[in-house]
Amino acid sequence: MGKRNMVGAGVLLALLAGLPPLLHNHYLTGVFIVCAIDGIWAASWDFFSGLTGRENFGHALFIGGGAYAAAFLNGNFGLSPWFSIPAGIAVAVVFGLLVGFPTLRLKGPYFALATLASAAIMQQVAINLWQYTGGSEGIYGLDTLIDSSLGFYYFVLAILVATVVVLSLIARSRWGTIMRAIKGDETACQAAGINVTFYKIASLAVSAAFAGLGGVLFAHYQQAVTPDDFDVFLSISVIIMAYVGGIGTIWGAACGGILLNLMLELMRGLGEYRLWVYYVILMVVLFFMREGFVAPLWRRLRGGNA
Amino acid sequence: MLTVLIYGAVTSAVLAMLAVGFTLIFGVARILNLSHGAFYALGAYCAYSFTTLLKLPLIVSAVLAVALVAVFGMAMERVLVRPLRQSSLAVLMITLTVALTVEQVLFVVFGSQSKNVPAFVNFPINVHGVSVDGQRLLALAIAVVLIGALWLFIQRTRLGSAILAVSQDPEAAQYMGIPANRIFTIVMGLSAALAGAAGVIAGPFLSVRPTMDQTAMITAFSVVIVGGLGSIPGSILAACIIGYSQTFVAFYLNPEWTGTVSLVAILLTLVLRPSGLMGRVVNA
Repeated sequence: MGKRNMVGAGVLLALLAGLPPLLHNHYLTGVFIVCAIDGIWAASWDFFSGLTGRENFGHALFIGGGAYAAAFLNGNFGLSPWFSIPAGIAVAVVFGLLVGFPTLRLKGPYFALATLASAAIMQQVAINLWQYTGGSEGIYGLDTLIDSSLGFYYFVLAILVATVVVLSLIARSRWGTIMRAIKGDETACQAAGINVTFYKIASLAVSAAFAGLGGVLFAHYQQAVTPDDFDVFLSISVIIMAYVGGIGTIWGAACGGILLNLMLELMRGLGEYRLWVYYVILMVVLFFMREGFVAPLWRRLRGGNA
Repeated sequence: MLTVLIYGAVTSAVLAMLAVGFTLIFGVARILNLSHGAFYALGAYCAYSFTTLLKLPLIVSAVLAVALVAVFGMAMERVLVRPLRQSSLAVLMITLTVALTVEQVLFVVFGSQSKNVPAFVNFPINVHGVSVDGQRLLALAIAVVLIGALWLFIQRTRLGSAILAVSQDPEAAQYMGIPANRIFTIVMGLSAALAGAAGVIAGPFLSVRPTMDQTAMITAFSVVIVGGLGSIPGSILAACIIGYSQTFVAFYLNPEWTGTVSLVAILLTLVLRPSGLMGRVVNA
């Protein structure tokens, strides 16, 4: 990590850590919490799909899995909210393996279709099993993890930083090299004696784990879960965040999540229509900024290479 | 029992119309069109607007609705999909965005309440002692005729041969003087028209609401995966399997669980026979 990158990360972290107490506004702290959670989701999506090039269209499956695990344990059975974290991660990983095992062995678009379908159908299941899941109303009355909202914000921010650091370290290791090689030429990887399927499934499990963790945090922040946690719109907004940040950069995706959320917040006046902003941003990025926005901008600001 | 058989056939026929279009555009242009369900919803809403709001005669509305959806599909292919065809992720993103946008527009314009599309045939028809809603039988007949016509069109006409040629090798076809890009647009139009027609004829016995596209799309791709991506006969066969499974689940278990049939079918197929019933292995 170059000196300038260190400075950039330091400034960004200082801003993220310093702004909420300075603004001293309960509502705005909430906005920053959601920003950080979105950052975790976008970074975890980017880790798998950005590096391996396999498009995950159902990240909400893992998010919702984590969130509902938290809601069952804490909301329905009254266990301490701290149990939600390992449970949410475990459920998300199991979902990741269930979807990954049949689809990631194959080439072709099966994985994208299966993830999209699984998340949508889990949403249906969450509505149908209303006796246990509260149907479309969801489950209410979860405990907070940390009562002070500023305290919870720092907890989430710490997890975001840890997520980006851990995922970036994996991405820089041999494992990450293999993931990028899979994106480049899967057949060549196989020919080189690499167990491509194992790396794909394991990477998806890691990605799912962090998404599930984010889902748990979100559930405890909202103190409720709804079937919308599985919604296709959530999946696609996570992809848009990663796109805006710069696919395959992980930290960029996390910044994309934060940036998009702040933008959406600024446009709160538009009411329902602000969702359209997402579509407009997506069009702009797809047609004019293939490389994304945050990561290329930083490269330009920083100058030089690497 | 006969009731289940007939209803199953109708469900299968509507599914087949959706799935054939979805697999056609994938087979020919390698476009995985996630807005396919939106075409279906648009078809149903167009039929509703023309008949109920503009008071046009049924046949005219139906034809207009299908034509409009086809034009919408062609415009989408030309303006949004073609510049992005190099990247499969971008195509998936843009088509899914179109689907979500259509859903939002329908929601803003028509509200979340379900709408009634008038039926072409209002009386029940007696089939061997079972009285069946006439519209369902008409839907079955129209589906068979349209898919048959599509099959003949592809197998017997010049344009059909061009489509087959492009599906086998777009570059080689281009060298032979077939304008591959124009073929993609035409096929997208056909695919959209078929989905729109499914929406028009199935509209009267479905609840027509803005979110109807998602279930339709997911069922369509489960059919396509089970049948084998890119294979039309496979899609028809798989549409029957999934259509009947859904009908059985709806009759003997609970209509709410029909959606999970698709997921089970997708996962089972991918584990047991990834290329689908009649598909070739795809390397996309």
